[in-house]
Amino acid sequence: MAFNPLDEQGIAVEDQFRNWSELNVTPYDKHTVDPYTRTRVILMNGIEVESILFSHQFARHTDNLELKRALATSRRVDAQQQKAVNGLNPGEQMPLETTLGYEQVAVDLTAWLARHEPDPMLRQALDFALLEDFDHLYRYANLYDLMYGGHAEEITQHLTEITPGRPTIVEHRHPHDEVRPHFETHAVDPLSRMHVMTIVAAEQQTMNFYMNHGTDWIEPIARGLYAEIALIEEQHVTHYESLLDPLDSWIANWVFHEYNEVYLYWSMLQQESDRRIKAIWDLHCNMEIGQLQVACDFMRRLEGREPAEMLPPALPDTPVTFEPNKDYVRQVLADQIDLRADGIDYVGVDDLPSSHRYFEYQATVNEGGAPSEQVVEQTRDKRGTEHRDETEGDHPIRDLRPQHAS
Amino acid sequence: MPILTPTAATGARSAPQEMTYVDPARTMPPEELDGFLEGTSLNGPFVADLLSDMMAHERAGARLYRSVAERTNNPVLKQRYTQFGKETADHVEILETLVAELGGDPGYVSPAARASEKAGTGLVESTFLLSGSVDLMTQELVMLDAVLLAEAKDQANWACLAAMVEDLPEGDVREAFQTAVDEVEVQEDEHLTWAQDTRCRMISLQATSGPTTSLVMKAEEMVARIRSLFE
Repeated sequence: MAFNPLDEQGIAVEDQFRNWSELNVTPYDKHTVDPYTRTRVILMNGIEVESILFSHQFARHTDNLELKRALATSRRVDAQQQKAVNGLNPGEQMPLETTLGYEQVAVDLTAWLARHEPDPMLRQALDFALLEDFDHLYRYANLYDLMYGGHAEEITQHLTEITPGRPTIVEHRHPHDEVRPHFETHAVDPLSRMHVMTIVAAEQQTMNFYMNHGTDWIEPIARGLYAEIALIEEQHVTHYESLLDPLDSWIANWVFHEYNEVYLYWSMLQQESDRRIKAIWDLHCNMEIGQLQVACDFMRRLEGREPAEMLPPALPDTPVTFEPNKDYVRQVLADQIDLRADGIDYVGVDDLPSSHRYFEYQATVNEGGAPSEQVVEQTRDKRGTEHRDETEGDHPIRDLRPQHAS
Repeated sequence: MPILTPTAATGARSAPQEMTYVDPARTMPPEELDGFLEGTSLNGPFVADLLSDMMAHERAGARLYRSVAERTNNPVLKQRYTQFGKETADHVEILETLVAELGGDPGYVSPAARASEKAGTGLVESTFLLSGSVDLMTQELVMLDAVLLAEAKDQANWACLAAMVEDLPEGDVREAFQTAVDEVEVQEDEHLTWAQDTRCRMISLQATSGPTTSLVMKAEEMVARIRSLFE
């Protein structure tokens, strides 16, 4: 049953610091971990990174000493939390395997949020990027097979299909076609706001991960694929963050961040099968409640606003849940594969005039070939076939069904 | 009780613009705005947006007063901020009642209201975001500046509304507007006059207080001086 975090004290922020042993957690075993434990770890790492980055941005816009110190203190705790969460990823899990986990997050988080999103425009925004992240999983799976003979489904455990989405090569858009209208902060369903904040953080961390790990390889195909997909993730961050209403104040955004973190840790706690990791979600949930109380106190004293006026009376009853979304993804694939963006609108590719900046941008960045196509071609050439894990039958789009090496 | 922060839960609705999307379930449809004050000589959609704007400004004012009342070190200012804050919150309720009586939706957040809210947020943020670079005495003046600016627009809003009412024909619509104006305008005049006079007095007291600079004073001395400002 959901609760009202405003009625809870949580753990006082000053009592939240931990020692190195406590932060240097024992990672999960990559061979036995539940894939959705891995995705929960990846998501919450992204949530903590966003919290830290937001706090830094806020701190750069004030010299109020009390406020800066409070931000620094909560942020230090968040940085400790980020270490404890991200430290659950084992060192023996190579970056490409973690990448497959990132894309499983992207697919199953985006699809779940879309299925539970009350606002049709926001659902459309989620569906649009869903098909692109779905394709990234396929491309990275082929890289894993090409380079290591690896089977990505050992990571995904068949919970998420591996097959083409909207092909990465066609995802590259002019920046002007990435910006969307935003929800209206007063009229928006509080659940929708949390959905958007969550997906912004998740995509942002995916972008960060790829922009930093793309050079972990010597092989040009790997370096090229990471660069290409990292730029799509930059597109996605622009796309999703533009859904947020810029009307909200710094302190309001701080409160919203902390509230969403409470919701997410509570969500992860509901489903976690690993008892040790469940205890971490529980501890961090109580820490975020303490941080929320600090932010709320500043809202009362500095903005003269009672946080209960702008927050719902309780968390949503339904926790954010990692679970298979195969039917939903296939339906979106069948219905929306050919969607592109034209300014703030979504249109079919056939509705774009030949002079549209999309085609000029495509010609520029794809000149000489795209690594996302090359990786599949090379896998076909090497293995005789490309890598897929289609558990629900043939691909819904005939043209995207497997080709074999000639 | 007035709604000081409209949300989906309180029935907030808004109108889409180029970059503002509103869930159709919470969109204020154009035909509803067109129907506002139908049969009168007034531009219904414009007046609906205006009243929403005025409400947003009053809400921001109520929050500003709560904030500065909490933070001022001067008991006279605290008493006034608290009193005017309560009256400003009452003005929100008066506007909500007015809009409802006229057949409109008090939960409507117009584009103009959003712009007013942004200005109001900036005003209250101006009283604390840079407080690390001002001394305590200047901080008191900064807070009073914000009150003055807020009341200047507030008083102008109501004076304008009063002038508009003068031109309305006798009837329920005029009566509804007149009741609101009669309740609020005199208080707005008082708020603005007080803010102007008090600011002037504070500046005058500082300007004639001698060469001792704020920098030299310790914080406790400064607070004591602020406390005794209007004695």
